[in-house]
Amino acid sequence: MENRSYRALGLFFSLFWLFLCLFPLWWVFVTAFKPPLAVSQGATYLPFIDFQPTLQAFRDAFSGQRGDFLNPILSSVYVSITATVLSVFLGSMAAYALVRFEFRVRLLSGVIFGIVAIGGFILLNSVYGMRVPYALVLVLVVGLPVAILANRMPLPGPVMTNQDVTFWFVSQRMFPPIVSAFAIFLLYSESNKVGLRLLDSFPGLVLAYTAFGLPFAIWLMRDFFQTVPIEVEEAAQVDDIGRMRIFFQIVLPMAKPGLVATAMIVLAFIWNEFLFALLLTSSKWQTLPILLAGQNSSRGDEWWAISVATLISIVPMIVVAAILGRMMRSGLLSGSIK
Amino acid sequence: MNAAAHSQDRIKHAFLWPAFLIVLLISLFPLIYALSVSFQTMRLVPPTPPRFVGVSNYADVLVSARFWGSVWTTAIIVFASVALQYVIGFALALALHHNVPGAALYRVTFLLPMFLAPVCVALIARMIFHPVVGPVNDLFTFLGAPNIPFLTQPKLALAVLVTIEVWQWTPFVVLLMLAGLQGLPAEVFEAARVDNIPAWRRFRDITFPMLLPLSVAVVFIRLIEGFKIIDTVFVLTGGGPGTSTETVTLYAYNEGFKKFNIGMTSALSFVFLVVIILFGTVYLAAAQRLTRKYA
Repeated sequence: MENRSYRALGLFFSLFWLFLCLFPLWWVFVTAFKPPLAVSQGATYLPFIDFQPTLQAFRDAFSGQRGDFLNPILSSVYVSITATVLSVFLGSMAAYALVRFEFRVRLLSGVIFGIVAIGGFILLNSVYGMRVPYALVLVLVVGLPVAILANRMPLPGPVMTNQDVTFWFVSQRMFPPIVSAFAIFLLYSESNKVGLRLLDSFPGLVLAYTAFGLPFAIWLMRDFFQTVPIEVEEAAQVDDIGRMRIFFQIVLPMAKPGLVATAMIVLAFIWNEFLFALLLTSSKWQTLPILLAGQNSSRGDEWWAISVATLISIVPMIVVAAILGRMMRSGLLSGSIK
Repeated sequence: MNAAAHSQDRIKHAFLWPAFLIVLLISLFPLIYALSVSFQTMRLVPPTPPRFVGVSNYADVLVSARFWGSVWTTAIIVFASVALQYVIGFALALALHHNVPGAALYRVTFLLPMFLAPVCVALIARMIFHPVVGPVNDLFTFLGAPNIPFLTQPKLALAVLVTIEVWQWTPFVVLLMLAGLQGLPAEVFEAARVDNIPAWRRFRDITFPMLLPLSVAVVFIRLIEGFKIIDTVFVLTGGGPGTSTETVTLYAYNEGFKKFNIGMTSALSFVFLVVIILFGTVYLAAAQRLTRKYA
């Protein structure tokens, strides 16, 4: 008796939330097909009853007479696919290394790297007046070998293991992105000045987004690799097959569902990302979210046109969510969340 | 295969280093530069040569009323929306876990909002809460209530922002809490049912405490992610009316790209970073005590 009333409550609540989820999507979908009058004269809901649907807004959008639509769409597609592939590829390699090998990093060597990098940079930049990108590259080239050498020495202090390395990657995502976005903007604009064009460019944007996607990819893929049985790899090792071949020909194919799920999640993050694109692009490589954010001021109340633009951004993500939803039902994702 | 042999394998570096270098180069290295900029006055327009000013940028940030206003706004949005997300999300996850009719359909639909660009969601919200042509005000008119200017009144605009955040991110809570519920041992619940413990007490004494560590993590992730909010506000209100809905990230952006005050923006973002780290530490410490008390 009591259980039944809870079930009814749950059902009612679920249906209510279903309506709340779907109504805004329904609204943007029908508004894209509305003629201007059906928008500006108050709310209309049902096509063919409240208003006569038209494709005019879509035609306007793709004819390009009212601002450039195609270019931001294409740059969004290129940038997000390239960055997703890169971060899932490099991320799964790193995740595999973190699952199957043992890393030991001395805290002190990290500190040494920090001191060499920060101190060296301030010295080169402020005292010797070296240009920022050169100074950064130089301290990186000097600092890393020093830190690696220091790591070999029997230094005192705590030793960090794979857990800490993973945490270091993931913690990059805990920073407020304005900190790194703004810092990258400063760095990119300096490198533009010395002729290496990173601001408002494809490589610059892909690089930033790859770094943005890597922590996710490493975190998720690590869980997937942990479920891949090690026996197969051991058998391959007995047959003297190289680690790289084992990874690419045995491990990666076995982790394929995980790769797909990770790629979908990373793709969604990059496709929707706003702040980096806002700071790092100005005209040529503007992405879709930036175009959308500009619609407001440039189009005022032309909601039919805005809806078309919104739909273009939303539809690929509906496909992504549907794929992930199916995977979740098969229990794949629920196993990976810990 | 023992661990020692593994760690001898030099190829492990080839696996890890590409990712490590990219993250180091892009996430950490610019920070060094930004840190040094935050101790200088530096303007892009008009371009002035950088000059070392010590902590004066930080002092400016800390005494700026607008900064604390934006911190307050961000805090209200984040805490109100995460609280609602957690309660609604947990309730929906419970409903899905107990297989309400049509659960398969809900699963995909409930996930959906999370995957939409916040910019899109804000645009849709602008349409829906539009004073003249929006359906919400249409409903209010139908009910006989006056038209409400949702986006031009500070408190209402904040409420709309919280609504958007709840709409978009409750799915995340549902996803994780559902996974947590499915991972709970069934025997405990069997035993409780045999002992005829009512459903409410089963939830209070078994489900909730067992899921407390997960809840702590989920709320933590949502809080940290929530503090980053800019896109929704940027599109929905632009921080207005006045600066009443300006969040920290938006304030930093305005300071850097409208006033081109680079030194101050760098200092601002580092103050923000410190606030987040302090908050995270306090939260995790408090959460640990709470979990220990229950366990």
